[in-house]
Amino acid sequence: MRLSTKFLLFNFLAKGIILLVFLAASPFVLRYFAIKSTDRQLVEKKNEVLAIVAAEGMESFISQENPELGFGSYNILKEEYILLEQVPQLYDTDLIFVEERILDNESVTYRVYSYAFEMDGAYFLLEIGRSLQTIKEIEALIFKILISTVILFFFLSFFLDNTFNKSILRPFSQIIDKKLSHIKEPQQFSYKAIETNTDEFVLLDESLSEMMRRIQRAFNQERIFISHASHELKTPISVLQTKVETLFAQEGLSGEQMDKLMDMQQTIQKMKKTVNALLLISKVNNAQFIKTEEVPVHEVLEELIEDWEAMATEKNIQLYFEEADAFVIKESNRSLCLMMLRNALVNAIKYTPESGKIYITGKKQENQYRVSIKDSGPGISTKLLEQVERGTVFLKDVEKDKSGFGLQILYKVALYLGVKVEIKSGNSGTEVIFDFTN
Amino acid sequence: MRILLVEDEKNLAMEIKSFMEVEGDICDLSGSLREASENLAVNPYDFVLLDLGLPDGDGLDLLEEISDYQERTSVIILTARSEVDDRVKGLQLGADDYLAKPFSLVELKARMQAILRRKSGWNRDLISIGDFEMDLNNKSISYQKEEIALTKKEFTLLHFMVINKNRVLNRFQLAEHLWGDHLEDDYQSNYIDVHIKNIRKKLGQYAPTDWLETVRGLGYKIKA
Repeated sequence: MRLSTKFLLFNFLAKGIILLVFLAASPFVLRYFAIKSTDRQLVEKKNEVLAIVAAEGMESFISQENPELGFGSYNILKEEYILLEQVPQLYDTDLIFVEERILDNESVTYRVYSYAFEMDGAYFLLEIGRSLQTIKEIEALIFKILISTVILFFFLSFFLDNTFNKSILRPFSQIIDKKLSHIKEPQQFSYKAIETNTDEFVLLDESLSEMMRRIQRAFNQERIFISHASHELKTPISVLQTKVETLFAQEGLSGEQMDKLMDMQQTIQKMKKTVNALLLISKVNNAQFIKTEEVPVHEVLEELIEDWEAMATEKNIQLYFEEADAFVIKESNRSLCLMMLRNALVNAIKYTPESGKIYITGKKQENQYRVSIKDSGPGISTKLLEQVERGTVFLKDVEKDKSGFGLQILYKVALYLGVKVEIKSGNSGTEVIFDFTN
Repeated sequence: MRILLVEDEKNLAMEIKSFMEVEGDICDLSGSLREASENLAVNPYDFVLLDLGLPDGDGLDLLEEISDYQERTSVIILTARSEVDDRVKGLQLGADDYLAKPFSLVELKARMQAILRRKSGWNRDLISIGDFEMDLNNKSISYQKEEIALTKKEFTLLHFMVINKNRVLNRFQLAEHLWGDHLEDDYQSNYIDVHIKNIRKKLGQYAPTDWLETVRGLGYKIKA
């Protein structure tokens, strides 16, 4: 998963969790504070009422003639009420509670502050109530405002964080895209510095460039070495080969002399093939082959079948080849591709016994193209396959007492061309699978 | 033909020179860039066989001189160097072909003939071989105007032998011409026998193929 996606997910999840916790807790918190606020207002109102009573005298509220009538006041919507009455004795009352009251035959639930006090030798009870419905409405209103604000904040901060992350990570993405993910060979690396003022990214960019310079230097040294080694090894073989060929072309040689020349020719061929195979592996490792061609893999397969069908027929091997699906691999090398597939096919023909079978398919799958070459030969030993996977250059098949480069070249070339190779081998034969992707 | 061979490895140069002379060509030898340059200034050449790694410089430097003063001369680069760049550069600078060392002399001869045919029409497009006629343009062979189906490899093999007619070609030389140097072992040279067998079988249905001789234990030869 990309780093920016992880940041995005974290951003979304962290804010989402905070939002959910807030949404779950806010009704309780709001209620708590609404009640607290209401209670404080009730106490303030009590103080105001007592101040008015003290200033205007109790007579303004409770007549001395009929003190049992008391004083009551509530607004038209019954949201609040004040009750003042004379009581026979002083209750120890200074309480806030919730209680239903019936006003004008209507039951309303109030938050009530009940307060008893003494004035001029008489005892009074003051009750101030506030409708719970009113408190809930205020609570709901605050809740709506709060939620809208939080959701707005959530999206705004998510957008801003995301934009900031993208902006801060842009140089990092450029380093990944331009300097790492699309670089298959050191030659493709660009030393142009990525524009950034983040110290860590500057350091990363410089370190990568320095590392690549070292790799490129090593590659160049290896390239020069290969070139010199190639010259030093091939020139003497050339001399030998031309000398033998000149002798070979002479007339009047005896049969024995011809046989000896053929033996020499065979030895020279072995030397040539060994040197060429080693140089080929080195050159592939050193990325010295161009990869700029578009290669129609199906045509390469058809060409191979045409070239090698006669050999299979000679051994009475049945070659099954369905018409391959068309597929063109981009940025590849035709000669190397042909060599890779040819090595697999030639091995199959070589090791399949007389009257055996070889199946060749080229099928387009979802995002890739699969070539399979399956034979009914004795299979490749596990030890040999292990050597190939380890990258051993001089493969030695102990069971067959043979050594060679064919499989190793196949593997190295596939690696260089970006083709995935799988070899399934058992007693019933070997299947070499090549997966090509563009 | 007059050939200039630019090669500093004396042993190799002498072998190539004697091979070319047996073939009826005149072959001058230069062991350095300076000598080659002098020869080019004095003599007209049909072919320059050019080694790249010379003691006084890079053989590629000579290509410009050749194209300036002897534009009809054909050039084959012969080199033991392995870099792809050299091949590309050489061909860009006007070389006609590139042959990597170690090469077979008969392969060199075949390449020279192919270039001559391509450039000057010196060679015929139709070659008679026994009662058959090879069409080099269409890469086909026919008997009394009736085309005979040979595979590409069979045609290439037959053509190579025709170019080197009257010469015994061993299986290694033939295998190298067909598949290059990268087939793994000498097992592939046995496949030459299979191709020859198929060529004889396909052509033998129309007319005798006794011009295609087997030289026991060695290889094959086409009698002129």
